Amino acid sequence: MDFEKIFKELRSSLTVLFNDKYNDFSKESKKDIDRFLNASKEKLERWTLLLAEGKLTLQDFEWLVESQKDLFEMKALQAAGISKISLGHFKNNIVSTIINTIQAIIFKV
Amino acid sequence: MKNNKFFLILLGITAFMSACSTLRTAPYDQYSFQKTIELKIDAGQLMEKAETPYQENSIEINNLKNEIAKIVEYEKFKPNNEITYKMWLLLANEDKNLLAGFLKRWEEKETLSPFFITETKGQITEAFDLLLTYEAKKEPAAKNSLLELISKN
Repeated sequence: MDFEKIFKELRSSLTVLFNDKYNDFSKESKKDIDRFLNASKEKLERWTLLLAEGKLTLQDFEWLVESQKDLFEMKALQAAGISKISLGHFKNNIVSTIINTIQAIIFKV
Repeated sequence: MKNNKFFLILLGITAFMSACSTLRTAPYDQYSFQKTIELKIDAGQLMEKAETPYQENSIEINNLKNEIAKIVEYEKFKPNNEITYKMWLLLANEDKNLLAGFLKRWEEKETLSPFFITETKGQITEAFDLLLTYEAKKEPAAKNSLLELISKN
């Protein structure tokens, strides 16, 4: 079984689907699809092999691919949260620098 | 004069902090972290039993479902905690293909195949790890900074 061929077809099918149905889809979202596909490649390859060997049913395979999509959504949320935390740290550093400077000037600490 | 200047600067800081309110995240929560680890272990152990009939494990399954419902409610009411709450909602949604979805499928199919269980367990473990690494990255409680400020002055 040539998994690279399957993966290439999967990628082009998804691209066609997004171009047809979501023409105004943002560049960032398209990048997200690419990132998702790259991160999923190893798993998809293993699941395809298990499907070909009859160790997974087609339903099992579909369920797992869907679960990878849901996992991707969780990862996207986590990434958004982490960047929010980083910006929050930056903001706190600015605030504490301002407070420390004022304390030093006004109260001569 | 000096007091006026100080007041204006304080006003500036307040305005700046208000403008950045969207950047607020809930502080690190030891209970959330610990509970997530417990649920990750419990879920993993329970999933391994999915080769046996759902009904045989119904007490354990219901216990796990209850514990998940409790943590989802806990996370829901924590201020500035939308991201963690949304992540839990995905895990706890029966119509998604993560933990609750797995339990639903187990109930529908009565038993599941060992290969499917192994692969799904990997997915669920990854989902729990995302929650744990996110919680670990949260800032320590703001009250620590406040206590530090009070003790200095």
